[in-house]
Amino acid sequence: MTPSGRPAAREILDTGDDSLVDLVDNLLNRGVMISGEVVLGLAGVDLIYLRLQAMLCAADRVTRRPAP
Amino acid sequence: MSGVYLYALLSAAPTCEAGVGVCAERLRAVALGGMVALVGDVAEAPSPTAVTLRAQDGVLRRLAAVVDAVLPVRFGTLVADDAALAAALAPRAPDLTRALGRVSGCEQMTLRVWGEVTATTPAPAIEGGPGTRYLAGRRLAIERAHRVPELEPARHRLGELVREERAERHDRPPLLATVQHLVPRGTGDRYIDAIDAARESLRPWRVSVTGPWPAYAFVEQAA
Repeated sequence: MTPSGRPAAREILDTGDDSLVDLVDNLLNRGVMISGEVVLGLAGVDLIYLRLQAMLCAADRVTRRPAP
Repeated sequence: MSGVYLYALLSAAPTCEAGVGVCAERLRAVALGGMVALVGDVAEAPSPTAVTLRAQDGVLRRLAAVVDAVLPVRFGTLVADDAALAAALAPRAPDLTRALGRVSGCEQMTLRVWGEVTATTPAPAIEGGPGTRYLAGRRLAIERAHRVPELEPARHRLGELVREERAERHDRPPLLATVQHLVPRGTGDRYIDAIDAARESLRPWRVSVTGPWPAYAFVEQAA
């Protein structure tokens, strides 16, 4: 949670910034994972990923080009 | 929990000062056999916010300017100390070294495929008993999850740029697939030009491109 109590995922994904959405995807869903000794600084990654999908779809509906 | 926060694995130590990390901590390089880990000493793992995610991405981009091979580590990776880091990585050193070789001199472009319907591909005839047919069907389904036939009209334009590809189908219209391409550093503009030139031939599907990124998507074989 952010200091204001607002969920971090919402803060990130409500910006409407496509590159930030890809940043979330890259940093939270990809990269080398080390199990065991690692404390993952995040709970609810799956929730963020679901919101990421929703955000990507919503962005496309807003910016969709006219049909050919 | 205080500890050592891990940013990336590198082919060699940075040739200049690595700067500061997400928590304003000074970054340092830890030699681990044939590779180097870039780390910072932090009081606790950072929370994922737009600011901290951009900061970590910024660290990786700075590294890419001075190190040939950068293998990003997932956000939030904290270990107790350098000894714990070495112990965690040692069993996987061969895989990680191979992954460093894979991403050397490269960066990632992210391509998303949009549309209302998926491309249809003819299903091959499967012979044999019910068990054979079931297993063959499962294999085809798994293979299909990583194929993006919608992009075929663009492949000849991308051919010389793309070193490797990672594809995931989503099949939740309008988002159909995400494709990550590993391309030589500095060719991002040529990649975007190639995609732009292919847009007409890709219809009815649409594509969007972001990048270049550090090679986040090309480390999974090392996991």
